[in-house]
Order: sequence, then C-alpha cells, then structure tokens
Amino acid sequence: MSTAPPSTPLPPVRTPAWPLSRSAIGLWVTQGVLAALVPVLGTVVFAFAVPDSAGGPLPVLRWLLPVLAVVYAVVVIGVRPWVRFRVHHWEVTDEAVYTLTGWLTRTWTLVPISRIQTVDVTRSAMQQLFGLATVAVLTASSQGTVHIPHLSADIAQRVADDLARRAERVRDQAT
Amino acid sequence: MSAPPRQQTATTAGVRTSPLVVLVHTITFRQARRFAGSFLPLAALIGIRGGSTTAVLVIGAVAVFSLVTAVLSWWRFSYADGPASVVVTRGLLSRSVRTVPNDRVRGVEIETPALHRVFGLVRVRIDAAAGAMKDDEEELVVDGVTRAEGDRLRVSVLTHRSGPETTGDDGAAGTPIEEEFTRFDNRWLLYAPLVGSYLALPLAVAGALYRAVDDLPDSVLPALPGPDLAHPGAIAIVAGIAVVLLLLGSVVGAALVNWGFRLVRRGGSLIAVRGLVTRRHTELEIDRIRGVTVSAGLGMRLVRAARVNALMTGLGDAGRRGQLLPLGPSSEAWRLARRLVEDPGPLVAHPPAARRRRLGRALFPGLVVTVAGLVALTVGWWELLATGVVLLAAGVPLGLGRYAALGHVTGPRSFAVRSGFLIEEQAILQPRAVVGWRVRQTFFQRRAGLATVVACVGAGGGGYAAVDLGAADVAAFTSAASEPWSEALSPAVP
Repeated sequence: MSTAPPSTPLPPVRTPAWPLSRSAIGLWVTQGVLAALVPVLGTVVFAFAVPDSAGGPLPVLRWLLPVLAVVYAVVVIGVRPWVRFRVHHWEVTDEAVYTLTGWLTRTWTLVPISRIQTVDVTRSAMQQLFGLATVAVLTASSQGTVHIPHLSADIAQRVADDLARRAERVRDQAT
Repeated sequence: MSAPPRQQTATTAGVRTSPLVVLVHTITFRQARRFAGSFLPLAALIGIRGGSTTAVLVIGAVAVFSLVTAVLSWWRFSYADGPASVVVTRGLLSRSVRTVPNDRVRGVEIETPALHRVFGLVRVRIDAAAGAMKDDEEELVVDGVTRAEGDRLRVSVLTHRSGPETTGDDGAAGTPIEEEFTRFDNRWLLYAPLVGSYLALPLAVAGALYRAVDDLPDSVLPALPGPDLAHPGAIAIVAGIAVVLLLLGSVVGAALVNWGFRLVRRGGSLIAVRGLVTRRHTELEIDRIRGVTVSAGLGMRLVRAARVNALMTGLGDAGRRGQLLPLGPSSEAWRLARRLVEDPGPLVAHPPAARRRRLGRALFPGLVVTVAGLVALTVGWWELLATGVVLLAAGVPLGLGRYAALGHVTGPRSFAVRSGFLIEEQAILQPRAVVGWRVRQTFFQRRAGLATVVACVGAGGGGYAAVDLGAADVAAFTSAASEPWSEALSPAVP
C-alpha cells in the first residue's frame, strides 16, 4: 500500500485550522504509561508464576505475551500520543465550532453557534497537572456534542466564555 | 375553577383532582403497588400459617392500606394552570413543586384507561420538554380529572402561549376545522405477527404470568398433571398451540393499542387518538415537526408494511408519542410522510466500495468460525466448520441487503438518509432540524475512500447516519442538507 500514488487519501472534509496545546502530548504519554502498566505487570507475574514445565500452549505464551506487552507499550507510549497530536485540530469560526479528534478512527464534528445550548469546561486531575482543560459544547441532540480536549486552561476558559456569550446572542429559538 | 388568573406564587393553593380517583387508585393499588414487593412474601407466609380467616384479614388490611395511600396522595396532590405556566405540587412528606412554563409544553396527551372511563375520569400527561431531565420527569401527570376538566386543561395549557400564531388559532379552536390524515383500517392488524414489538407482547404477558405463578407458594397451586413430554406428538402439538397463541396474541395486542387509530389535523396541531381499553389522545404541534422516519422490519417489508414516526424537537418518549402511523401499508405510510415533509426525491445509492465493506463486515464472523473450524477438524470436530460455512452463506444476503438499504438524497427543502437491514429506517429531515454534523472515518473507511456522516438532530434518536458515503461526496451532501453554517466543512473554504 505504501507504493500507492496518494500515500494518504484526502480527508472527506476540511481539517480545522488550530492544533492543540503541545502539553497534550505529555498528558497522552503519561496516560499511555499508565495504560501499559497493567499488561506489563501481568506479563511479569505470568513469567514468575507459571512453572517452566507446564505443557499445552504455555511455552508459546511465554514468549508471545512479553512481545505483545512490549508492542502495546511502544504503541501507546511512543506512537499514539504523536499521531493523536498530528490528527487533533480545532477551530472556532464566526458561525460554528469545529473539531477533529481520534487517531485510527477520525471524527470531525461541526456545531453551529446558533444551536449551542451549554458550554462546559472540565479539568480532570491529570489535566490539572499539565495545565489543560476540555471544553464541551452541548446541543439539543445527544449525538451533537463537541469535545475540544486538552486546550491550555486559560484558552479553554476564554473560548468557553466567548462561545457562551455568542450563543446567547444568536440562539435560534426554533430548536 | 375561578375565572380570574391566580397569582403565580410558590404557595398557590391549586386544585385537587377528582375525589373519585381515590376509588380508582384503591382498586388498582396505584400507590400501594410499590410496597407490593415487600408484602407478597409476608402475605404468602401468613397465608400458609393461618386459615381462611387470616387470609381474609390480610386481604382486608391490604385493601385498607391501598385506600389510605390513595387518599393521602390525592390529598397531597394539586395542580394549578395559570396564564403562563402549570404548577404541580405533590409528595407525601417531602413536597415537590414543579412549575412548567406553557411555552415549554410540547404536547398534551389525554389517556383514558378502562377503569377511569367507568368513573368518567381521564389522565392528562403534559409533556414538558427539558433535555436534561430524567425520563420519568419529562412529563407532568395529572391523574383523575373529569373529562371536561381534562379538555379544559389541555386547551388552557396549549393556547396560553406567548406566540402570535398560536393566539390566532384561538379563534379557530371555537370552530375546529378537522382534516383527517389517516384512519386505521382493521385489516392492517394482520400485519402484527410480522412486527417484532407486537410479537414480543404475548411473550411478555406469558413471562409475567409465569413469574406471578412462580412467586406463589407451591401449597396454593393445584397439582395439575403436566403433558407427557416424552411423546414426540405431544411436543409438536404443544409447539403448534404456542405458535397459534403467539400469532393471536400479537394481533390482539396490536388491536388493544391501535384500535380506532385516527390522525387528524386541527389548526396547528396533529391529534392522534387510539386504543381499545385505554384511549389515548395525543396532541402534537405541527410547527415543531422537523422530519419523519418511515421504518419497516424485515417481516414488514415482505408484506410491504411500514410505520411512520414524527421527529419533534424536545418530545419526550418520542417512540410512542410521535407515532403517526403505528402499522400500515407502505403506500399509506409514504403518502402520510410526504404530506408532512417534502419528498427530496429518489435515494442515491452509495459507492461500490460501500458494498465491499458491508459484505466484508457481514462475512467476517463466518470467516473466523470457518478458520477455527478447519483447525478443529484436526481434532475431529466437523460441527464448527459446518457452522462457519452456514454463517458465511448467510453473510452474503445479509451484506448485500445491508448495502441495498443504504442511500441518501438532498432535495431543495429536505434530505433523506436510509440504513438498516433488520429494521430499515429512512429519515426525511428538514435542513433546520440539523444541529450539528459528525463525520467519522475508521482506518478501513479511509483506505476505501468512505465516511459515515451523522446528522445530529435534537429529536428522535439524536442522530441519523448516512453510512459509508463516498468521502468526496461528504461536503456536498452536508452543505446541501443543512443551513449555510455547514459550509465550514467543505475543503474549498480557505
């Protein structure tokens, strides 16, 4: 597939203009380390607890499990944060809020400011460590929620205030 | 019912419901029911220990308990409809006062269960749209007012709105001009055995009966000789009877719910009336209709039947209340749908890559089982391989059928998307219904040049998807299907 002329197919819709804060990479790496901890510890326990003499598929598992654990750890710590940072973009235009999130599966979400119902800013414990915050824009539709993750906290607050004020002004009463 | 509007204060006295409702609730154990769980084992225990005198005493005590709870809840419940809002006060110990502004009310439903009809009462459900509310709090229920009072309440709530066009309807309300949209033909009941939800109805009844019998102590059950299941003929007969009962039950169930269904337009409202034992009277505002869905299950498509639901902003319990045609021939369904939302035209099929993707997804489980079956063959199991082959064979029509269901189209004043195989659903929506777009592309969709586009809608299921659209068509579709703000998606914008 690497020899095909367009190495990356064109995205179906426009990519939003602005990248996230670079601190998001640090946060994702930390999350990756935590996520990799469980399978790695599991493998270590497996290696010590299972005797060498055990039969069946166990000899295969003795080398397969560590390999899988290492691959998983490399992907979630070394690859996924950077791919995510390259994919994630966001933008607030005159009329709408627009985001692109994901890494393997990508999701573009566009919500017009006139249909915004509420704007939330949340900061999880880990986000606070990295000085980040998530802006959630809610509409009348349960599926029409925009999350702009991992903006630096002051930008998030400014965006949320700005959106809430503009939504108040142009709110479409029809919905 | 005093003529001058009451002051809207927190201490508004309000009006009680009809005292007759105490009788209804005593008989139906409406309030006492929630304690039934703790009562049943106790009653059963006493029933076993004591003789018939104790049993009578227990029944008497339960009846008195039911009466007391019914009286208490009647006494503590009041409602008041002011010029701008409805206030309902209730609660035995902790009082709750709910105030719903009239312009938040999306619809009023008047329900007449059989027992209510005996006493000339109705139950009024006021649909108070509130997105953040839990399901059971989405409506105000005023249970047990006289029919005339129920009608007065409905008119009062629906006409005291702060809108110029609804006050205009006031005059028309005096001389209602009715226009009939649909009238249920009883022959349509024959479709019921092909509809999953109606088939499930007798099963649910059987399940409830079984559980009730199971709860009773064995000593009170007569020892019936069970059928001799060892005999092969007996099993066939029992199964045959069960199937016949199931079919009959589904038709009876459909008749109970839909008997005498009529959909009429009166002024700015659509009014649906239906039900055999419990009559329901649902009123929906035409102004709030943003679209319709026409859906049909696999069985219904065989006989060309369909159902129609309205997509209304902020309608609670939309699946039941938004029903415009519960069951009927698809020609009738489409006639009704076109009457409410402009037909955008015939659907456009999705690209061949979408067919490959549907087929691939449908064949994948069969493929996995087949490969596992080939491995298992080495140990002498052929059943797994056979299952895999059957799954593979079944996957072909499934995949093709799912692809055939996919489609989308945009018209000048509406657009439509269709998907689903077991239940095929086509949503026809107005551009103003869309409150957001969500475009999703998985890794494999990106390779195949496809994308799934979800139109987020503040009504019905929350979103309607055009599955596996060609990636190049996405921007054109979204900008044609919604208002100018969606131009932000098109790649041409700098």
